[in-house]
Amino acid sequence: MVEVIIQLVINGLLLGGLYALLSIGLTLIFGVLEIVNFAHGEFLMVSMYLTFLLFSFFGMDPYLSLIVILPVFFLFGYAIEKIIIKPLLNDPPLNQIFATIGLGLIFSNVALLLFKADFRTVKTSYSDANLIFGNFFVSVPRLIAFAIAIALIAALLLYLKKTFTGKAIRALAQQRKAAMLMGIDVHRTYAIAFGIGIACVGAAGAVLLPLFFVFPTVGSLFSLIAFVIVILGGYNSLAGSLVAGLIIGLIEGFSGFFISPHLKEVVYFVLFIFILIFRPTGLFGKR
Amino acid sequence: MKETLTTLIESAKRFRKPLIALAVVLALVIPLLPRNPFYQDLIIMIFFWATLATAWNLLGGFAGQISLGHAGFFGIGAYTSTILYLTFGLSPWIGMFAGAGLSMIVALLVGFPTFRLTSHFFALATLAFGEVLRLLASYWRELTNGGVGLLLPHTPGFRNFIFDNKAVYAYIILVMLLAVLCVTYIFKKSRFGYSLFALREDPGAAESLGVNTHRAKMYALLISVFFTSIAGTFYAQYVAFIEPDIVFTSHVSIQLALLSIIGGIGTVFGPLVGSLFLTPLDIFLRGWLGGVFSGLNFIVYGVILILAVMFFPLGIAGWIRKKIAGFEKAPELPEKTSAEPVGCPEARAEHRAEAGAPLMTVDAISKRFGGLEAVKDLSFMVREGEILGLIGPNGAGKTTVFNLISGFIVPDRGTIVFNGKDISSLKAPHCFCRECIGRTFQLVKPFQHMTVLENVMVGAFACTRHTEEAEKAASAILQRIHLSHHAYTMASNLTIADRKRLELGRALATQPKLLLLDEVMAGLNPKETEDIIGIIRSISRDGITIIMIEHVMKAVMSLSDRIVVINNGIKLVEGLPNEVVKDQRVVDAYLGGAYHATAGLK
Amino acid sequence: MQLLDLNNVTTKYGDMTAIRDVSLSVAEGHIISIVGSNGAGKTTLLNTISGVLPSAGGTITFAGKEIGHLPPHKIVEEGIIQVPEGRLLFPDMTVLENLELGAFNRRSRKEIPALLKAVYNYFPKLEDRADQLAGTLSGGEQQMVAIGRGLMARPKLLMMDEPSLGLSPLVVKTVFETISKIKSDGITVLLVEQNVLQSLMISDDVYVLENGSIILNGQGRELLNDPRVREAYLGI
Repeated sequence: MVEVIIQLVINGLLLGGLYALLSIGLTLIFGVLEIVNFAHGEFLMVSMYLTFLLFSFFGMDPYLSLIVILPVFFLFGYAIEKIIIKPLLNDPPLNQIFATIGLGLIFSNVALLLFKADFRTVKTSYSDANLIFGNFFVSVPRLIAFAIAIALIAALLLYLKKTFTGKAIRALAQQRKAAMLMGIDVHRTYAIAFGIGIACVGAAGAVLLPLFFVFPTVGSLFSLIAFVIVILGGYNSLAGSLVAGLIIGLIEGFSGFFISPHLKEVVYFVLFIFILIFRPTGLFGKR
Repeated sequence: MKETLTTLIESAKRFRKPLIALAVVLALVIPLLPRNPFYQDLIIMIFFWATLATAWNLLGGFAGQISLGHAGFFGIGAYTSTILYLTFGLSPWIGMFAGAGLSMIVALLVGFPTFRLTSHFFALATLAFGEVLRLLASYWRELTNGGVGLLLPHTPGFRNFIFDNKAVYAYIILVMLLAVLCVTYIFKKSRFGYSLFALREDPGAAESLGVNTHRAKMYALLISVFFTSIAGTFYAQYVAFIEPDIVFTSHVSIQLALLSIIGGIGTVFGPLVGSLFLTPLDIFLRGWLGGVFSGLNFIVYGVILILAVMFFPLGIAGWIRKKIAGFEKAPELPEKTSAEPVGCPEARAEHRAEAGAPLMTVDAISKRFGGLEAVKDLSFMVREGEILGLIGPNGAGKTTVFNLISGFIVPDRGTIVFNGKDISSLKAPHCFCRECIGRTFQLVKPFQHMTVLENVMVGAFACTRHTEEAEKAASAILQRIHLSHHAYTMASNLTIADRKRLELGRALATQPKLLLLDEVMAGLNPKETEDIIGIIRSISRDGITIIMIEHVMKAVMSLSDRIVVINNGIKLVEGLPNEVVKDQRVVDAYLGGAYHATAGLK
Repeated sequence: MQLLDLNNVTTKYGDMTAIRDVSLSVAEGHIISIVGSNGAGKTTLLNTISGVLPSAGGTITFAGKEIGHLPPHKIVEEGIIQVPEGRLLFPDMTVLENLELGAFNRRSRKEIPALLKAVYNYFPKLEDRADQLAGTLSGGEQQMVAIGRGLMARPKLLMMDEPSLGLSPLVVKTVFETISKIKSDGITVLLVEQNVLQSLMISDDVYVLENGSIILNGQGRELLNDPRVREAYLGI
């Protein structure tokens, strides 16, 4: 039994790292711009399709495609912020909510139009490889996904801590007027933060594809996972998202095994509502 | 509850004419149309989506609570009646109400904890709720047959709620549509409707005017859910097949919102208009292009949605309403009443008899925010009928004191006794309003999308349930505060001086014994200040006790009977104006000791 | 030389006129005070100069250049730095991070070590607290960080909004001593205060603002016992 549990822990943590990467962009966006990106899952879906196309047409290894995905998605996010989000920043929440919902609708249905409802994935030479440690299996794609996720998250945290623009982003999230008075260009910083958030979810898509498959509505599945993690971790704490991602990965692994693989979703959605009700600031968030 | 029913029936009687006209028009549409089942289906779908969207709008547009999970209640309605019918042979007519009942219970359970979330999170929570139900329905196969769905056998009959002739369905959904439109229309003109709009615009201001915001939201949710649920049953009976990915899907929830946004959120007929435009578009897109370009309709929806929120947030009906308001001649105000003195009758009587008895006694209240002690052991007293000025330098804690005595903040320690009653432990601002304490806010909070008259009526509704009485009372107040000529102007179009008077009038309408005025004169020019001073004096003459925070010193000194000076959260001095102003401590607090009489500089 | 010139500046909130036709000049190397009671418009005035609020009329000239239309971050680049009311530190960042952010603008970024040294000279206590979270400091310490953060921006004009707010008398004394020191280091100061005595004592020039308009202007110490100042504050 102990061995089963350890295997579950391994799998859960590996998955959790990827989940953390998925959600950290959402946390960043909410922390800085104070809007929920309801299209977050759809951005993930777009990235997965792009990774698929790069693999199909250029034979580009999905992990290598990060070189393309990261800058492309940053610019994508930057543009969307400037065109759609920025004009609505002072509007009532209704408008902000439905703007991103509208985006999500468009993305998933354009995908449906272009790719039909088929499931697609990429298979590399090592897709099914496993590393074996004693009695434990570690899936190679999962390990790579985890490593890349952790590396990117670490890079992001370092960026926010050490660079001027990164500090500007943190400052803007904490105290808007003072940030303005420091000479921080508020609107440009908003766009950069949004762009970074989208780049993160783009990266998550690229490393997720080999582990899963893409279809036009795959976004809604992962959207809610991301929301749960953001809320659990504390909606303005990036470190919180990392920890929460790992926790959710573990929960999914364990509930999938002990309860049912189908009902695991119900488990963390109920968890989600629970947290929203009893501890809306999450584990690390501040009021 | 009984009173609400009587008011509802009264209102229904008054609005007979327009409603009957509407009913006739809509009813005529059906027989006049060709017997083509395609067009019959179109009409049914238009009415169907209009019903759902109007129900959603009651919560989302009127009360401002954006729900993305209404599909959940739609599904509960559809599945409950269907399961009861298939398992027990229970007539779906009855099952429909069973489903509605279940939906309402679930709504209560879900609404109670989620209503205190902010808009974005509330939307998220409702989205999650809808998804949970979808998954439960998918995987609880014993109950719902899972993803396979449930098929209703075609056994026509009234009892079975299944008909061969589509026209019957059309009439049924028409009745449902009319019912929900009726309810919405009646609410709009009633106290409940005003409460909803007020709480959507500014929950804090609404609470200060006596609106129990939590309860109002709950009622709106329950009614919205009721109609959503019965529409679910209708759908099941009409389409005869339901499965989780159709009825519980978030697309349904989004569509409801979309129709309301396009049509005009917060208007009665907006969702119907939205449905009139979008449902045919949807059916044509799906019908003509569905096979080849599946999903195109949603792309169009997405684009329309983004364009709508960016450029056309009022929606069609909202835009029309705005244009009409510009051209409408302002109707006559209800009969000109002689300037009736406002204020609780007892206040006036006692003013003559016993001016001077303590009305409110604040005893050693304290409030700490994190590391800062904003108010420290503060005690003061205000006498019946007097005007008490509350002054002090910036950051002294004056607004915190107001928030403590009007119910917006709960004191850490100390007591507040008002009119002989200890009110320190009351939890919500609307309770303080009920005790006859009214207030204005430092940064005025007009209900922007309501007219001046409607704004004051929200306050008047604190004292009466009847719209006509509220209207009369509000008109009288408008005369007092010199805003009658603006009765039908949108509050957002007022100048700052008029907004301050509006705020004052709105609070007056709640018939307070004690009125708290927070910097009512800030930003006014001398003439406007004179005007408001006059209004304040006349309010005082009617026996209403007033506490005012002011920085316009000349005004507060001349108006106040007594003054309390606060600095750094503690009371420095309490006394007559010309004594207080000569008190060295006060001079020091303001001017840093520059005006020490003789001995030189401190 | 007049470093900053305001000419008939008007600022509105919606249609409420917060400041009306305000004209004032700040001479280089001097301390200019703007005093007035609450609601007089002092913070609005500073926010207009900083570009946080748009002006509805009039001109603002700095070192000969018209700056009225510039966005806030450009005004900071020009060298006008505001230490805002209530300090507004970044609570979840350390003292050091707050100070470093003060040097965000282009002119300052390259000189952070030297600037830090200068700030620690003013406030030696801050060096000990460099790694402490700003949100956990006392009021007086926070004010020091706020002023230090302003100095890190290499201001040509340092505007301070009620630096003595909420501080104990002893700390207030230190704050005003610091302001005098800043002046002696050649930085022009525009001071907005409610604490009249201390302001009048250290200022070269004083403007009294009441209800959005300048009602009085004079040399600091001359206005010390002027009954009109008293009237502006207390109405009597």
